[in-house]
Amino acid sequence: MATNVSTQKTRFSLQNLNWQQIWKWTLMGLAVIFLMWLGARIDENPRGFLQATVSGVLVGGIYSLVAVGIVMINKASGIFNFAHGAMMLVSAFIFFSFYTTQNYSMVAVILLAGVTSLLFVAMNNWRDILIPRNALIALLMTGVLVVLMTLPRDDLRLIRALVGGTTGAVLIGLMIERFSIRPLMGQPIFTMILMTLALDSLFKGVSQMLWGSIDQKLTIFSGLQATLNIPATIRIDTSAIIESRISTINIQTDTVLAFILSVAAYVAFALFFQYTNIGLAMRATSENQRLAQSVGLRVRAILAAAWAIAALLALTAGVLYGAGNGIGKNMPDLAIRAFPAVLLGGLESIGGAMIGGIVIGLAQTWADSLFGSDAGTQLAPYVILMIVLIVRPDGLFGQKRIERI
Amino acid sequence: MSANIRPSGVFDTSYAQDISINRTWWDKLSGYLLFGLLLAIPFLLESTFLGDIVSPSWITTITKIAIFAIAAQGLNILMGYTGQISLGQAAFMAAGAYSSAVFVRELGFTFWTALPAAALFTGFIGLIFGLPSLRVKGFYLAMATLAAQNIIIWMIRYPLDNFTNGVNPLPLENFKPVFFGQTVNHNGMYFIIITLAVLLFLVARNIARTRTGRAFISVRDNDLAAELLGINVFAYKLQAFFISSLYAGIAGTLLAFHTQTILTTQFEFLVSIELLAMLVIGGAGYPLGPLFGAAFVLILNQQVIPNIQPAVGDLVSSVLTFIPKENVVTATKPILFGLILALFLILEPRGLAYRWEILKISWKIRPYSY
Repeated sequence: MATNVSTQKTRFSLQNLNWQQIWKWTLMGLAVIFLMWLGARIDENPRGFLQATVSGVLVGGIYSLVAVGIVMINKASGIFNFAHGAMMLVSAFIFFSFYTTQNYSMVAVILLAGVTSLLFVAMNNWRDILIPRNALIALLMTGVLVVLMTLPRDDLRLIRALVGGTTGAVLIGLMIERFSIRPLMGQPIFTMILMTLALDSLFKGVSQMLWGSIDQKLTIFSGLQATLNIPATIRIDTSAIIESRISTINIQTDTVLAFILSVAAYVAFALFFQYTNIGLAMRATSENQRLAQSVGLRVRAILAAAWAIAALLALTAGVLYGAGNGIGKNMPDLAIRAFPAVLLGGLESIGGAMIGGIVIGLAQTWADSLFGSDAGTQLAPYVILMIVLIVRPDGLFGQKRIERI
Repeated sequence: MSANIRPSGVFDTSYAQDISINRTWWDKLSGYLLFGLLLAIPFLLESTFLGDIVSPSWITTITKIAIFAIAAQGLNILMGYTGQISLGQAAFMAAGAYSSAVFVRELGFTFWTALPAAALFTGFIGLIFGLPSLRVKGFYLAMATLAAQNIIIWMIRYPLDNFTNGVNPLPLENFKPVFFGQTVNHNGMYFIIITLAVLLFLVARNIARTRTGRAFISVRDNDLAAELLGINVFAYKLQAFFISSLYAGIAGTLLAFHTQTILTTQFEFLVSIELLAMLVIGGAGYPLGPLFGAAFVLILNQQVIPNIQPAVGDLVSSVLTFIPKENVVTATKPILFGLILALFLILEPRGLAYRWEILKISWKIRPYSY
């Protein structure tokens, strides 16, 4: 019997074309042209290129920290947190307030500590407060926090600010989870995205109300610089590598310290996620909520803890970025630009967030040095985003998605 | 989509009746009456006692509502019917506004030719940024449209600044539309915009009843099942992107000719979020949703907030003495916007249009409720 397998004619249509290949080769061609152009520009100004590379890596550290915060929320609860920038802003401002002034009202401090402790012990359920042991813990916690936040001496202000900022960040994370995310459990992704956008607007408004709309300079590293006896700007002579009229590149010490600290924070977080019981519980919850519940994990408490930790990451990123560049409205923009970093690394990958962050930082500063203004900052991350979405939507290290009906 | 509950015993007896837009003569008549009333508002404010009560700034507000309702209707077709998330509608408005301005200023088009040309141009830009929808959906597509938002605004600001004036305002005062030999002034734009908005709402409503509209809805409800039924999912997604950008382009053109100067800050990411908020507050997937949403958000932004700002500032800074009054005044808008959007998402996720349907039904079946 004759088989007629190949007799069917293939019709020309949009779907028969291999769009993936077409896109891939088009993009590769564009990339080659871009690289040639880039090479020509580097020849013109080698010092600028080197400077851009260094500052790109330094900015990339902050991007990684922001990206890890976003990945954290996504891993735990599947939400893409557009409010991360606003969380950074508000918690960095809380840190700033405790750091710079001492004449804040006692009522505000007690309220801050009290509400945070209350939400902390009632992470799973409001009824948990009624258990005497929990109530006692909340009271004790409030007391300790209030004492720490109102330390009188001026040289202890870093401790004051650390405790105050941590409390504020945890409060923000727990409140978001409790009042806006928990009521929306099981809603479609569109609702969640819009909720985080609403929170973004709300927090920006709150920060404007309490701290005004002027950028504030945070000077946490000045004491450290004085004790270590390093100048505010490090100048490196690079005449051995490049031939140019001006061959020194300038690096702000603030940004170097911020980079080192953000890498440290990143490593600490990765270790926490990998090796502690809570980290294990979080990974289990993100894998399968129902299964985690059936082995006795308190899923709601774990989600709340995930938000609190993300808020802590936001605080760290906010303070470290604010130390170099000032706390202000450029912070929410920074967080939006960290989304390309998240997608490049892969939505589930913590290691990917680091690489994604540094790539975005480099792309941004290179583009800036090419265009000669901050035009590159506004473009480069999104071009990378488009390329990632078209060529490899799962990112470099993300899980492959399998869609089922 | 809409809950079509009727009093017992009212049936459709023909297919025409089943798919008709206006079920009764009263529906039709009230539609025409409302349209007439809308067009008569400027005359009423000018010549009757209403002008003393209602401030003339309401005309501007109504015009803005019409413009943004068109853009939100485009978003409704894309998100409410086809289920594709877009965070870049404001940038498509910008593309429409700037392309029409360039057509009029550089190529000598009139308003009436620039409007469709700019709409088509924006539609094709929408097609380009809709292409990732072949491979990605959901959140990934939202990110692609976020990239569209930033890339389009960047293109207008930097490489094309010879035509678009970059970050500086682009004036259009000398290029007012001409209607039958008469130059249409700022007040005259009201009639053009309202008429176009009503027409475009009718078109959108009709799209939802056609084969295309049903295909959109099936793509939204389950794209894999839609593909199994023989619907070309990718082609319909692209069509939705095209129509959505077309609406955005028309809205952008109208906004450009209404304000007569355009700035890139009129179309930033925040405006895209506001358009999304309009859709959620109004009700995504309902034909009248964008109108309710645009009216709610813009009346709040343009009429309510400026009036309550001083009072709120006084109140807050007298209770919490450490907050300066001017901070409260600037913060009122983002705080209220965020709060209202969050409350709508939690308490009324189906929006005002759903509430309106419920109201209509309970009026029709009065005094007996089911």
